[in-house]
Amino acid sequence: MKKLSLFTICLIILVGSWVFLRFVVGGIISVPIPGSVIAMYMGLIIIAILVHISVEDSLFQEFRRPILETLVEDKRRNHRRVLVVLIPLLLLGYTYSIIAQRANPPGSPRDAHPSPPLELTYKDEVIGTMQDVVNPFRHYEKDDPEAFSAHVENGKRVYHQNCFYCHGDHLDGQGHFAPYLQPLPANFQDPGIIPNFQESFFFWRIAKGGPGLPAAGTPWDSAMPIWENTLTQDEIWDVILFLSHYTGYQFRTFGEAH
Amino acid sequence: MRIRTVALLLTLFGMLIVFNFAHAQNAPEASEKGKEVYENSCAHCHGTEGRGDGSAAENLLPKPRDFTRGLYKIRSTGTGELPTDQDLFDIITEGMPGSSMPPWDTALSANDRWEVVAYIKTFYDGFKEAETSPKQINLSGKVAYSEQSVETGKALYTELGCVECHGNIGRGDGTSAPDLTDEWGFQSWPANLTQGWNFRGGSDTEDIFKRFIGGLAGSAMPAFEGDSFPGFGLTAEESSRMIELDNKDEMTEAEEEESAQLYEKYDAAVDIALNLAEGTELSAEEQQIYDDAMRVVYEKSWHLANYVKSLMPEKRPEPAIGNNVLRSQYIQDELPPMDDAAWGTLEARYFPLVGQIVIEPRQFNPTIDAVNVKSFYNDTEVAFLFTWDDRTHTTDETDEETGKTLEDALAVQFPVKVPQGPTAPKPYFLWGGRLPVYLWHWKASAPEQVTELTAKGINNAEAQAAQGELHVQSTYTNGQYTLWVKRALKTEDKKDLQLEPGVFVPIAFSAWDGANGDVDTKRVMTSWYTFVLEPVPSSKRFIYPPLIALLSVGFLFGLRAFVQRRNSEEI
Ligand code: HEC
Ligand code: HEC
Ligand code: HEC
Repeated sequence: MKKLSLFTICLIILVGSWVFLRFVVGGIISVPIPGSVIAMYMGLIIIAILVHISVEDSLFQEFRRPILETLVEDKRRNHRRVLVVLIPLLLLGYTYSIIAQRANPPGSPRDAHPSPPLELTYKDEVIGTMQDVVNPFRHYEKDDPEAFSAHVENGKRVYHQNCFYCHGDHLDGQGHFAPYLQPLPANFQDPGIIPNFQESFFFWRIAKGGPGLPAAGTPWDSAMPIWENTLTQDEIWDVILFLSHYTGYQFRTFGEAH
Repeated sequence: MRIRTVALLLTLFGMLIVFNFAHAQNAPEASEKGKEVYENSCAHCHGTEGRGDGSAAENLLPKPRDFTRGLYKIRSTGTGELPTDQDLFDIITEGMPGSSMPPWDTALSANDRWEVVAYIKTFYDGFKEAETSPKQINLSGKVAYSEQSVETGKALYTELGCVECHGNIGRGDGTSAPDLTDEWGFQSWPANLTQGWNFRGGSDTEDIFKRFIGGLAGSAMPAFEGDSFPGFGLTAEESSRMIELDNKDEMTEAEEEESAQLYEKYDAAVDIALNLAEGTELSAEEQQIYDDAMRVVYEKSWHLANYVKSLMPEKRPEPAIGNNVLRSQYIQDELPPMDDAAWGTLEARYFPLVGQIVIEPRQFNPTIDAVNVKSFYNDTEVAFLFTWDDRTHTTDETDEETGKTLEDALAVQFPVKVPQGPTAPKPYFLWGGRLPVYLWHWKASAPEQVTELTAKGINNAEAQAAQGELHVQSTYTNGQYTLWVKRALKTEDKKDLQLEPGVFVPIAFSAWDGANGDVDTKRVMTSWYTFVLEPVPSSKRFIYPPLIALLSVGFLFGLRAFVQRRNSEEI
């Protein structure tokens, strides 16, 4: 068998990697990779190849030999004919597809967890500062397990009468109304949510809902209702107990790192 | 050197794969016993005692199943039989689309699901008392999908009376649709057969077939037992002949005779079926007649299943999220009216509706699936075609509780001013707030009219002073509304949205099904989507690509000339 030229090997690596990323990983293993990530990997591979061939002069000579041959030598005349048609055609198709592409709407950047106000309120009543307010029933967890259970149970009722449509039976943000809301309802099973926030933050989010967010949280898009209109303060604290009890995640307490 | 490069590449791929898998996986749930699983995950809907009266049940329709009566809709077993354990396991795993019964495939381990199957069976003694395992439906005679089979199924659809509940072409708009209740007396809407994604038990042909043969126990949908098929005991030809003769105004003597014979055969077979149902032993001959008759019934049911399958798209349409936005197509001529064939050339965008549960009073149990939208525009005007399925045509009914007038309606919402840039504030998605929205409000009681509203909140809408800028047409046929609205791109009215090609405009919808008690805030809705008058494609696309191709040819020849010259110099 004829030994493959260095140029052919590099070409095979390049095309092979693209096929692997796009179709094997993206298709068969089905972990679709965004185009920009594939482009990044392909860039890295090209750099690796360039580094490789430019290390020694002899390697570089070997690499470019087939290119030069194809350009001028008679024995490669047929290759040349094919390429002089193929390359412009590919470019034609590619530029056409870019220019004819339809404009797409700009994605709207959204901060899912913007800073809360300094003061926690329920309707217009001030409860305290965001940093200091704690869940008034949390201490039952240690002091009076029975009372604690009753509060969790009540929280569960509140949740299943009001929240599961969006946040899901399993608190995973996959309620039966959820898939068609933009932004999607929060997923409390996500380890990045409950452990990163104080209970007072959740009280704020539940009491004031989507419209209570600052502009960075795109309050006009969120379907999260304003619950202070419907639920009592105690009910809100109870449902917060239920959220952490059911998922097993602990809320952050003041003083821990954000 | 080469090995090092290869190693580098392999590491990169490795990193990539590990990174992606770390995201995709979920840890399995810790295993608990049946009762515990039930009380944790099911009791708030199905009730601690299994009576379907958990704390969440109050707001739900269909109601969570009462397990104490052993009635299950989704079974692989015949009429009157209990489900198999596998049936229960499967429905718990997959959930019941179109209802609040969620799938438990990821939330509970297979082990936990088997435990809870065992537990819910304890609510009904019939499971313990059953001596034999339930008889499963034989699926072996499946009739392949073909146009012929669909035609046969279509005729049966009328003959068997499906039309009365499910409507002429299956949108659930039959004449008796509004009056159906289930075993427990709750309202029960017939399925919209064009929306297979909302079927409780799946929309594969086999699933649908099983629903006919086994019935949906406890629901308003009757089981189609063998002898309820017209022409039971007759071959397909004989039964269509029987119907043909029945429909004749006048029969000849020979035809009378023929008809009488067919009826005799039919009555005999029905008698045999009744005897069997009462537990009478059948003679070998009777058994033969019965088996032959049932073979025909099964075959007919396959045709029927194929027909139902033909009514729905292959899968639920993709919602108009992301780049799949509503694009109005430019045409030079007059915009087509509602019934123009030109609309058929456009693909509709699909906007799924959810119950409005943000502001009281709320709608927890929506009956309208989605609104489909198409649009054309020309240099001066834009036209929209909205279609949505609604089982009932309600124009003037009174709500028993509130005394309010109930009627079907649709509202299309835009901001008054298009937000400039992706971070600019939009009005609140539910009829605006601090920033106002501009609405087109159509009501079934005035089908040729759309009122323009300005709203600053769901309870704060006002009809605009200047009306009459909209041209409107609408119809209601076979369980579907079609609404056509045309407006000038630019109007004089400062409170109207002004439209310009290429500008992305937020759009949202609300809809009301009067028969479902929808009125005011009680409705179905969407969050913000996007609409654009798609600009005419730029003519640049015919200039630059050929130019670039030509340049590349030039470059290739230039390169060759360069290399040739250098080579000759070297020599
Ligand atoms: C109509 C759907 C809907 C209902 C009902 C609903 N939510 Fe939400 N919720 C959302 C959406 C959408 C978001 C994400 C957008 C946002 O942050 O506002 C969200 C966000 C939240 C957040 C913020 C989480 C975070 O990551 O900061 C909390 C807490 C929350 N919901 C709690 C509740 C509770 C408790 C209830 C019931 C009393 C409830 N929600 C009912 C839709 C809903
Ligand atoms: C949010 C409420 C809800 C929860 C939670 C829930 N279900 Fe259901 N379930 C329903 C509703 C509603 C129905 C009836 C749907 C219908 O009749 O169309 C139902 C029906 C069923 C059925 C009957 C299926 C049939 O063939 O008729 C079974 C079995 C069932 N549920 C089991 C469970 C189990 C087990 C759990 C817990 C792991 C559970 N459900 C949790 C609401 C719920
Ligand atoms: C008396 C009214 C009535 C008649 C007659 C009737 N149906 Fe139904 N059908 C219903 C109702 C009600 C439902 C919804 C059942 C439920 O889930 O509660 C339904 C549901 C269905 C479903 C969906 C099953 C699922 O998995 O959700 C199919 C398919 C169906 N019917 C087909 C038919 C066909 C075909 C016929 C004629 C052979 C027929 N129906 C006759 C009332 C009827």
